[in-house]
Amino acid sequence: MSDAETLQSGRRGHGRAAKRAARMAHAAATVPFITRQIPIYEVLNEEGLSLIEQNAETVLEEVGIDFKGDPEALAIWREAGADVREERVHIPRGLCRRIIREHAPATYTQHARNPARSVVMGGKHTVFAPAYGPPFVHDLDRGRRYGTIEDFRNFVKLTYATPWLHHSGGTVCEPVDLPVNKRHLDMVYAHMRYSDKPFMGSVTAPERAADTVAMAEILFGADWIDPATGKPRTVVTSLINANSPLTWDATMLGALKVYARANQANLLTPFILAGAMAPVTVAGSTTLTLAEAMAGVAFTQLVAPSAPVILGSFASSMSMKSGAPTFGTPEPAMVMYAMAALARRLNVPFRAGGAFTASKIPDAQAAYESALTMLPACLAGTNFILHTAGWLEGGLAMGYEKFVMDADQAGMLQTMLNGIDLSENGQAMDAIREVGPGKHFLGCGHTQANFESAFHGSAIADNNSFEQWDAEGRLDQAQRANAQWKRMLQDYEPPPIDPATDDALLDFMARRKAATPDSNV
Amino acid sequence: MADDDLDLNSLNDDDLVSQMHDDLYDGLKEEIEQAVNILLARGWTPYDVLTQALVEGMRIVGEDFRDGILFVPEVLLSANAMKAGMAILRPLLAETGAPKVGKMIIGTVKGDIHDIGKNLVAMMMEGAGFEVINLGINNAVDNFLKAIDEHQPDIIGMSALLTTTMPYMKVVIDTLKEKGIRSDFIVLVGGAPLNEAFANAIGADAYCRDAAVAVETAKRLMADRQGSVQARAQA
Ligand code: B1M
Repeated sequence: MSDAETLQSGRRGHGRAAKRAARMAHAAATVPFITRQIPIYEVLNEEGLSLIEQNAETVLEEVGIDFKGDPEALAIWREAGADVREERVHIPRGLCRRIIREHAPATYTQHARNPARSVVMGGKHTVFAPAYGPPFVHDLDRGRRYGTIEDFRNFVKLTYATPWLHHSGGTVCEPVDLPVNKRHLDMVYAHMRYSDKPFMGSVTAPERAADTVAMAEILFGADWIDPATGKPRTVVTSLINANSPLTWDATMLGALKVYARANQANLLTPFILAGAMAPVTVAGSTTLTLAEAMAGVAFTQLVAPSAPVILGSFASSMSMKSGAPTFGTPEPAMVMYAMAALARRLNVPFRAGGAFTASKIPDAQAAYESALTMLPACLAGTNFILHTAGWLEGGLAMGYEKFVMDADQAGMLQTMLNGIDLSENGQAMDAIREVGPGKHFLGCGHTQANFESAFHGSAIADNNSFEQWDAEGRLDQAQRANAQWKRMLQDYEPPPIDPATDDALLDFMARRKAATPDSNV
Repeated sequence: MADDDLDLNSLNDDDLVSQMHDDLYDGLKEEIEQAVNILLARGWTPYDVLTQALVEGMRIVGEDFRDGILFVPEVLLSANAMKAGMAILRPLLAETGAPKVGKMIIGTVKGDIHDIGKNLVAMMMEGAGFEVINLGINNAVDNFLKAIDEHQPDIIGMSALLTTTMPYMKVVIDTLKEKGIRSDFIVLVGGAPLNEAFANAIGADAYCRDAAVAVETAKRLMADRQGSVQARAQA
């Protein structure tokens, strides 16, 4: 019993006040990352998977892949035995696979400043993170507008307050109100200060990656170096996108090297709009994704053997009728299933999925498309699901209501992945014996002991009678979500941070900001 | 080649022009080149070939693209056929002093590698008869200046998909201003994270939300310019 629950008068307490407090608490409950208990859904058999693997090896050897604007990368490949012609790297059959299998860790822990919130990437685990990258934000009250640092902080806070998101993500929206050459400092700081969940670093320039690493070192202080290995602990995972088809460019490679050398994790993702950036077939875009991802992952291991890494796949397609990117369609879901299996055969963690949609508002299109990407991502055995909450408009907007709706779904999916409890309590034989035929289960001991956590309840679904819904103002899901995010922000309390650490971070930022004039280019 | 061995020479002018509309629709490059040459040999002015045969054919293509009947890869072939026809007509148009369709340089600005949208714009502009010099991705201001020197364009197109690279468009425009040449060009900008207000703020002539709007805007501003050039000449 906590102090608050102990009443001065010496009464027993509990009763209404205590229960209301407990049930209304929106505090950031810690729900551990997922350890899946249900089988993985496979769509390709051995023959299909090895066909794609063979084709990907052929692509790497015969067509080759560009490592642009980075002479060091070319030297590294030459040294490793690749045939480098100008910036095109032709990689002998099997070389990437060998490097990856030999060096890349099958799982890694990304440490959070609150150790209870550290996550394990890979294996049977799944970690959910919010959407990444949107320049606009959207909510029902103010519509669509450019994101600001205030919006950024809001989404960090909302993610912190959401039990179903295990990771704080990265560019939760772009703070367009801050100068381009300095905004990364405020973004990284927001994750560090307003949350204690693990987060992602800046990748838009190598020096911004270096700033991220320097700030992480300050934040983790004495815990930065792992005495067991003598290396820094992995506390940042960062998003490195391929420029498909078949190109890794200098910006991304620069950030990748900074992180790998500091033992921080890289998430290598071919982000493919099939039709424009890859062939229009599932097998074709899977082949290209695998080739690019293998070259990227192998490269991290050449830069820093055993540096933590995730193999990613972001599959979407392009409307052949308009050229617009489409999301939540069935073909990319197939790519996801196939890529997850192919990553398992390389024995590395896998990233895919997200609550994708091209819809501009949190409507039925948004919900359907998101569900049809999140469900396959979960069934495929994906380890890191970036973009789990908030994505609208093909990634151009981060939606406040959409965020709440997606996070709610993430809770449902988490319950699904937890599988079926077959313990004695799960079997519930005592309940069946106690109640017997013709009565009900509401009062029996087993129900009394389990009801609170028995069914995953949605925080925003309406299951009431028509009349009640009518009396409550006929709100739709988005309107209910609108009330929910406002409540969450109102109730938000920042996680404690050591003031000396906070000062050191602020001091670092102030010095970095003073060192160069503001610039937007 | 068309499925049958049709001899384009055997068609009278009206039928040939209708056939050209079909051939543009079907993206038949060689047939368009051949037909353009036939009409010229029959004494058509380059301007009439352009407007009655090619532009009208591409208008139909554009309409069916807008209505979701034609697919992007088909429009790509149509645009290529148009481009081939234009390559024959362009020098002749210049000689005869016909109003210029226009020449555009277009590139993704420095720091940005997103080029799918820009390439669609380039394709649609070529489809509308513009001469397009595609500067590719990651273009610093010097690249734009070099291309301006080399190609003497009417239109400068810039694309950016990142909020971190959008501001670079202003660098290019400001440089043009510094050099006193800003008003020599139509500056069009586009890319998903931009909007009208941004385009105004950086001093572009227009924001184009998609490729079709880019074409319409370019045509409109070219007409305005030629109007004003003519007006100036008359004054
Ligand atoms: C006259 O001049 C004109 C006129 C009209 C013009 C014009 C010029 N240019 C465009 N138009 C207009 O006409 C076109 C045709 O109708 C239209 O062009 P669009 O380009 O809008 O439309 C195209 C037909 C289809 N659309 C696209 O091709 C862009 C789609 C999205 C999903 C996208 C893609 C595909 C990619 N990306 Co990028 N990417 C996103 C995009 C989100 C989105 N939904 O827009 C966005 C823009 N990316 C983003 C990010 C973050 C990034 N991306 C990156 C990389 C990539 C890929 C390489 C994977 C790939 C690009 C491949 C390529 N060859 O272009 C990275 C940056 C790389 C770099 N240095 O530039 C990276 C930083 C990610 C990373 N961490 O690695 C986000 C923007 C972030 C921001 N804050 O501004 C983003 C909104 C997605 C997201 N949520 O993360 C109009 O805008």
